[in-house]
Amino acid sequence: MNESELIDLVDESPERLYGLFADSGWGDGLPVVAPTEQRVDAMLSAHPGSPDEILAVVPPRSGACTVRMAAINAVMAGCPPEVFPVVVAAMRGLGRPEFNLRGVQATTHSVAIMVGVHGRVVDQAGYNAGFGTFGPGNRANATTGRAVRLILLHVGGGRPGDGDASTQGQPAKYTYCFAENAPASPWPLYPQCRGVDAPSAVTVAGVEGPHNIHDMWSTHPAPILTKVASVMTTLGSNNAVMSESEFFIVLCPEHAQQAAAEGWSREDVQLFLHQKARQSRAVKQQHFGSVGMEPPWMRSIDEPDAMLPMTGRPEDIRVMVSGGPGKHSCVIPSWGSISRSVTLPVDS
Amino acid sequence: MKIFRPDGAIAQPPHALSPGRRVLAGARIGVLDNLKPNAGLLMTTAAEPLAERAGTGTPLVLTKNAAKPAPEEVLDQLRREVDLVLTGSAD
Repeated sequence: MNESELIDLVDESPERLYGLFADSGWGDGLPVVAPTEQRVDAMLSAHPGSPDEILAVVPPRSGACTVRMAAINAVMAGCPPEVFPVVVAAMRGLGRPEFNLRGVQATTHSVAIMVGVHGRVVDQAGYNAGFGTFGPGNRANATTGRAVRLILLHVGGGRPGDGDASTQGQPAKYTYCFAENAPASPWPLYPQCRGVDAPSAVTVAGVEGPHNIHDMWSTHPAPILTKVASVMTTLGSNNAVMSESEFFIVLCPEHAQQAAAEGWSREDVQLFLHQKARQSRAVKQQHFGSVGMEPPWMRSIDEPDAMLPMTGRPEDIRVMVSGGPGKHSCVIPSWGSISRSVTLPVDS
Repeated sequence: MKIFRPDGAIAQPPHALSPGRRVLAGARIGVLDNLKPNAGLLMTTAAEPLAERAGTGTPLVLTKNAAKPAPEEVLDQLRREVDLVLTGSAD
């Protein structure tokens, strides 16, 4: 350990930490846990590899997110060591070139980084995949998303108005983590459809916040998914102007089970939404003119009445199941085709 | 007591800008348009009189996505064909 990495602190009172962090331009505005050597060592004990491994180079500061640096920020976020393997895997994912973390960090868009947790680690580390999975009240969900954000702020220098040019930001930039509810899902675990066959996995995606879909009346999947398609076709999201982007569709267990009861697979849901979530060439032309980004096959269609899918490939409509009882699902638009989500195994 | 800094080391030092050109005469002018609204208009409008003063004809205008680094082939073309590039955002 380099002495320059350490700071002398009289005590770890909230007031003292607030003062230090305010003076240094650190923190997310909420109280943090002091990253003492003892706490960081305890966090690192949950990771079998070297603490000096670089998980990602985090722009725009180009900071080295080593395992140790991830652990320091995980301590500050309040993570229990059990979730640290998820934080490590998430940072590995953010370092992949297809994620385009520089763009996600620096854009004027309000894109936040969503962390989806899958498989065995959900129960092992105590993630909430049920009631309010996206919301407050669970330490694993809350602190995993927050640890990632603190790394982006500190290691990446993504501070509002400085490294992060987001015009308005959004609450999901504080923390954004949920868990797939595998026991309540009628379909295989989500990572399997991404070619990741591991007991535990994590998905990171640059996305908007969840847009609610309410349907407690329909008994068939078609009207439920028609409402999903209606939200997908909103003209204000980047998906509308970039027609090769991902959508995340997080169905509640009851909506998913209604679809499965009618024999619909995950792929059937994707195909239905690909067919149903469309805008006309005339509307796209009116709103986006020549700015719109489309796959080559779509560009050749110029009839004004032609209905064009919101994304070029059905498989880019990412479907998974999460949440508790009730009939509320959500659509999560993405930042656009300029960033691709990443799903990786978690070493736990 | 001691605590760790949360930011850590820089992994890659920032790229330095090329030194400014002292003489405009003879400089081939380029524009790297990031396709943000009016970026091309603003920079091309500025580039054209510069190219005229330099006596090097019409500026070379290339494009990139604002959210991604410029493709290597675009950078290669700029290196080969121009001496001074205008780039940045507009609206």
